[in-house]
Amino acid sequence: MASNHDTDTAAIKQFVANFADSWNSHDAHGVAMHYVEDGDFSSIKAEASHGRKELEDHYTTIFTTFLKNAHTTDTVRSIRFLAPNLASVDIDWLVTEPSAPGGVLRKGLLTWMLSKRNGQWMIVIYHEQSF
Amino acid sequence: MRSDAGDGVLRAVIEEIKNQEDAMISPRLKVALAVSLFLAFSSGLAWAQMASKMDADSAAIKQCVAAWEDAWNRHDAHATAAAYVEDGEFSSTTGVPSHGSKELEAHYNEIFTTFLKDAHRTDTVRSIRFLTPEIASVDIDWQMTGARTRDGKDAPNRKGLLTWVVTKQRSGQWMITIYHESVF
Repeated sequence: MASNHDTDTAAIKQFVANFADSWNSHDAHGVAMHYVEDGDFSSIKAEASHGRKELEDHYTTIFTTFLKNAHTTDTVRSIRFLAPNLASVDIDWLVTEPSAPGGVLRKGLLTWMLSKRNGQWMIVIYHEQSF
Repeated sequence: MRSDAGDGVLRAVIEEIKNQEDAMISPRLKVALAVSLFLAFSSGLAWAQMASKMDADSAAIKQCVAAWEDAWNRHDAHATAAAYVEDGEFSSTTGVPSHGSKELEAHYNEIFTTFLKDAHRTDTVRSIRFLTPEIASVDIDWQMTGARTRDGKDAPNRKGLLTWVVTKQRSGQWMITIYHESVF
């Protein structure tokens, strides 16, 4: 069990890093593919996007408008396994953007619910908070 | 879904009977008919049972949110913390954590005797997503009046989203396992 958790913890950290890479490439399709087919996203103002199509549209919008020069740094803070294939992950989150005051556009916490499907961890629910 | 499939099988069997209007119904067809009726009925029933179980759990989760809101508005730190599982986790609007019953109660005790001692909250369940039959993610719109700043002045009203992971206990009761809150 402990070694399974170690393996899954490493896989989840790798998954978060891959998500950040896609995000930093401003690859809307690549980012949306980190979600399960019926994944849920909720913005810092709790505006929702549901399912891959809406998710990809959402990311296309942000990557071509106010976040087109933005860069994210995501650092896993904690992982809590709720079941062997279900984990809640807290991620410290920093978005930098050249024109933002001090270069920092967002700082906060991402709180994700991940599910392991066919051996691959994926986002079921994405929440974010800015502070 | 399942009852649709059952209906489909039933329709096919009825069709088969119509096609043999004048023929004797063969014993094999009688068996097929009986089996189909049984499947259509039992799968429909299983579906209905599952749907009503989820309705019951959704109602129980809303009850858990309402009871927590009530304890919070009475500024009862013990009862507010008692809505969490023993090793429950709280994270504030600025990501400051409290872990476990003892820390949680101390946290609520502190806020209810300082800057939130006259505060009142309203919580409205926005959505529930079941991750397993015993684990659900709940989004809750929250609003607060009567909060003060750390130096005792009136603070503006606040609103945001609570995002909880709740788990069903052996008693059938739903409790908070993970609490996150955002303000906007």
